[in-house]
Amino acid sequence: MANPSVRSGAMRCVTSPLGEAVVLLLLAVMVTAGIWLARPAQLAWQADPTVYELELTAPLVEVSEALLLFEEGDHLFIDTRTLPTGTHEIIPGAFVIRQDTFDDDLRSYFDYLFPEDPLVLYGSGDLNGVANIAARLQTRGYENILIMRGGLAAWIAGGGETSETEFDEGGS
Amino acid sequence: MERPQRWIPWLVLACRLLVGGVFVFASLDKLAHPEAFAQAIYNYRIVPYSLLHAAAMLLPVVEFLAGSALILGVLRRGAALQCGLMTAIFMVAIATALARGLDISCGCFHTDGGHGVGLSLLWRDAGLLLACLPPLLFSDGGPELSLLFKR
Repeated sequence: MANPSVRSGAMRCVTSPLGEAVVLLLLAVMVTAGIWLARPAQLAWQADPTVYELELTAPLVEVSEALLLFEEGDHLFIDTRTLPTGTHEIIPGAFVIRQDTFDDDLRSYFDYLFPEDPLVLYGSGDLNGVANIAARLQTRGYENILIMRGGLAAWIAGGGETSETEFDEGGS
Repeated sequence: MERPQRWIPWLVLACRLLVGGVFVFASLDKLAHPEAFAQAIYNYRIVPYSLLHAAAMLLPVVEFLAGSALILGVLRRGAALQCGLMTAIFMVAIATALARGLDISCGCFHTDGGHGVGLSLLWRDAGLLLACLPPLLFSDGGPELSLLFKR
């Protein structure tokens, strides 16, 4: 059986301000772990330096905001992923503009995509590619550009709908 | 015999509600937008990447629990100690940002923009730090609001 003096000492330690603070901190760690386990897609445990170091020329939007813009229907969505030939999921109605075939892709949408159109760009989650496309579109006069954080995976995790599109070498 | 000072429990209660309310309010937007809060922390350029997301997820929860505990009067002194330490850390972060000439938003209450770092923030946090002292130092913690939830 535990010595009463040891027990009272431990109790005093827990009820001291420092002990109480440690109890609260442990509770916070447990709650945080629970939140993260419930929503792991919201924020990766390890930060990707490129996300923070990249000098983005267009503002970032969260998936929740992008979903609202999609529902409103005023914004055009641009898929910037470079994907192999085949069938892939995209956001319904999204145009496909890739780094390697930027000029050809943009030319193919000449009658549908105008510089005054508000655009939401997304990629596969890595911001390097999508930032590159955003910068190149800006040089072509497209000023109203937003970049969706997290790419298509975050869109799907956020409950966004997708459709299947055939990707070929020159565009979708 | 020394007369007990009746105003002390009321001072402690006022400080508890003030500090607790500020911390709970400050945590809400950060809990809802952890990515944006991670960006706000990154802007200070003092937290390494390995700890950035962990800090963005843990800090709002610590703020919320400590603030709630202060308001309810549960683990009051520990909560006041935590709030005081967090405020001191925020002050150091703001002071280093000012010293390095960083033009960033403080990320204190709103993750999308909000108040830019400046001397006024240091004064505000100094006031908040002072308000953490009565709940931490006085043994009479004032009425426990947690009693409201007990039958």
